[in-house]
Amino acid sequence: METIPSEAPLTRAPAALEERASLRDWMERVLPYASVVVLFIVLSILSPYFLTLQNLSSVCRQTAVITIIGLGMTLVMISGGIDISVGSVMAFAGICGTMLLQAGWPLTAAVAGAVVGGAAWGLVNAFVITVLKVSPFIATLGTMGAARGVTLVITNGMPVVNLPASFGRLGDGNILRVPVPLVILVLLALLTGFILKYTRMGRYSYVIGSNAEAARYAGVPVRKYLVAIYVFCGALTGLAGMIEASRLVTGQPTAGTGYELSVIAAVVIGGASLSGGEGTVAGTIAGAFLMGLISNGSNLLGVSPFWQQVLIGTIIVLAVAVDELRKRRRTS
Amino acid sequence: MNPTPDAFQAAPPLVEMRDIDKSYGGVPVLKRAHLTVGRGEIHGLVGENGAGKSTLVKILDGEVQRDAGEVTWLGERPSLQSRADAARLGITMIHQELNLAPHLTVAQNISLGHEPRLRGRLAGTIDRRREVAEAHASLERLGFNLDPRTPVRRLSPAKRQMVEIARAVVRATRLVIMDEPTSSLSAPEVEELFQVVRQLQARGTAVIFVSHRMEELARICDRVTVLRDGETVQEGPMPRRDFAELIRAMVGRELKDFYPPRNCRPGEVVLRVEGLTRQPHFEDVTFELRRGEIVGLAGLMGAGRTEVVETVFGGAAAERGRIVIDGEPVAIRSPQDAIRHGLALLTEDRKRTGLALGLPVAHNITLANLGTTIRSGCLDLGKEETMARDLIQRLRIRARSARQKVGRLSGGNQQKVVLAKWLLRQARIFMFDEPTRGIDVGAKTEIYREMNALAESGAAILMVSSELPEILGMTDRVFVMRAGRIVKELVTARTTQEGIMRYATLSEKENARAS
Repeated sequence: METIPSEAPLTRAPAALEERASLRDWMERVLPYASVVVLFIVLSILSPYFLTLQNLSSVCRQTAVITIIGLGMTLVMISGGIDISVGSVMAFAGICGTMLLQAGWPLTAAVAGAVVGGAAWGLVNAFVITVLKVSPFIATLGTMGAARGVTLVITNGMPVVNLPASFGRLGDGNILRVPVPLVILVLLALLTGFILKYTRMGRYSYVIGSNAEAARYAGVPVRKYLVAIYVFCGALTGLAGMIEASRLVTGQPTAGTGYELSVIAAVVIGGASLSGGEGTVAGTIAGAFLMGLISNGSNLLGVSPFWQQVLIGTIIVLAVAVDELRKRRRTS
Repeated sequence: MNPTPDAFQAAPPLVEMRDIDKSYGGVPVLKRAHLTVGRGEIHGLVGENGAGKSTLVKILDGEVQRDAGEVTWLGERPSLQSRADAARLGITMIHQELNLAPHLTVAQNISLGHEPRLRGRLAGTIDRRREVAEAHASLERLGFNLDPRTPVRRLSPAKRQMVEIARAVVRATRLVIMDEPTSSLSAPEVEELFQVVRQLQARGTAVIFVSHRMEELARICDRVTVLRDGETVQEGPMPRRDFAELIRAMVGRELKDFYPPRNCRPGEVVLRVEGLTRQPHFEDVTFELRRGEIVGLAGLMGAGRTEVVETVFGGAAAERGRIVIDGEPVAIRSPQDAIRHGLALLTEDRKRTGLALGLPVAHNITLANLGTTIRSGCLDLGKEETMARDLIQRLRIRARSARQKVGRLSGGNQQKVVLAKWLLRQARIFMFDEPTRGIDVGAKTEIYREMNALAESGAAILMVSSELPEILGMTDRVFVMRAGRIVKELVTARTTQEGIMRYATLSEKENARAS
């Protein structure tokens, strides 16, 4: 960019060293995108069925739910937090929405109800984290159990059925041959990207995650923004719960079990740091689609779904290990 | 200047450190420093904050590696690559922050890492009975009144130090290093500690006693070494009564003339702090700040200066006291409130509380003032970058661009980014806590120039600093803090480094006698 001349400070990394570091940074940044592209090409070669419209749109529908939750999780993780309650909250919201549909509410109102239901759990998470000062991991571990329990109590463990057939369009419909969940995902991704770049909420998320004390000493109302961040994540999770319910035209109280693992994996693979201050929308989308492709590819190639779980677990650990290595290098 | 040991001495001293150099990131902390400690001697190591005392003893403890120089131990040249090496020689360091496991018992802490093992069928497991018996025996020998079965967390700070000392003795220590051992102790506890130190001496163990407190050193030490700016400037017997020469040696620095001149025209009082108290850090702190003046807050580390400015800024809650701004009492419960009233705090630890190191320079500069970059509900990134660039140029921040991460800048440039943040905010009352710590001379001068410009434009400035030349060069008035209280207000033009140091280090009684 622009150099401002001044006397040289005492400590300054030699230019060559700095260049090498930035090259490495760049490679780490493009890694998730490159992996998606490579995997895409490999699967098109290995499976004749992969490149069909039907298969690709199914990948999109499957991945959209994880990605939408991932957008909220991106904000949470940028702010230095984590939300492992998303799987349970998603089921809770799906049940809320489908029960409203059953009661005769129109689709949009029922979806709004699910969003509010998800946001309510976000508020609970934020309360436990900012007022009771419980660490985000433990706080959301608690709500993960509580939300699942409440969902099972409400439904008595039975799925919500007898829903209007038109409900299925939310998850399985198309707009101009584009799957509806993908359309929703694109709109939400644009919204989240805008929030991150152009609003106080986004900027403060990065600052709180990078250094919460510095944020406080600069007069940032840290608590208020943490509430907004967790509520946002809860709301998106609620919407995702409705999309998931729509794909089966059923409200499943056990929906979303284990989704937190995939969502967190997506965000971390996308370059967010578990210690906060880093993360992007594009990265999260790439991370989610990378896992969507792995899962789809395994199915097409006949790999057992049990092995897929092992694979996802391994990937999440590797992604975090890479993040830790990067941090250690930076501080040394 | 060059205190070489007596060549004709019969036996070599216990330890001799010669021509020790050490620098961190190009900034020298030790420059040909010397330290000689005889067998069974209690040796005081004194110097201002940042003189290099801690680094010197850490080198001896194997925790820090010297760049140059040599260390001899009983005439030999041992390897000191790690703390294990130091432990093998019989060197034990008792840290400012104690290294005990609070949930374990006294006995378990004493034997930590060297637990007695059972033999026979349960070979390898810990012999708890012997562990307690051994701890009991060594505590007895030292005359410590401690139950080996008590968990350490229930003990007072003084008792905890006893445990550390007992641990040192059990391991046949020849040299105990105590870094500011009395800073967390009450007067009777200090007495207890001194008895222990004398017992150690009676057993032939030497002690290095790092401290600021002259009276204490006079009571316990045989000899003393003075460090200043990383050099050994004096070495000799510890004086018993008159510390003037020692204090002069500690501070005797040339007043460098990089403090730019300034016209001080103090205006009306803008900030008044009355009876502010936050135990155990400080109590009954009262002072005033006027428009257009720079006031110093001097004192030793731990005197409570940082806690005072932190509390005024709303970073921590005060127990008592009032803050009055422009004649109106105000309630400051958070930094947000403080900023609204025109206050700014450049914190002592910019990495911990001043900057988001992973974020761009521009984002850090606008952090306290994001409102001005908002147009119709969203951030105007172009305007933000322009504002940041203006300040980057004005303060000559050496950054490749406004988008470079702050963590990549040098310390001086990082500090300028913090300053830029508050300049953009147009604060009226600035509190600078150690504004030039760890930054290069060029950046220092620029920060001084900005401080002067601020004062001339009518801002009021309170500067906490451990660097006495900086206090003398920059301020109009100085408040001296000692042990949580403001003990003296001085007019800068009519005082000296020695004058300030006297109030910072000596109790009232000592001061009355000295004057």
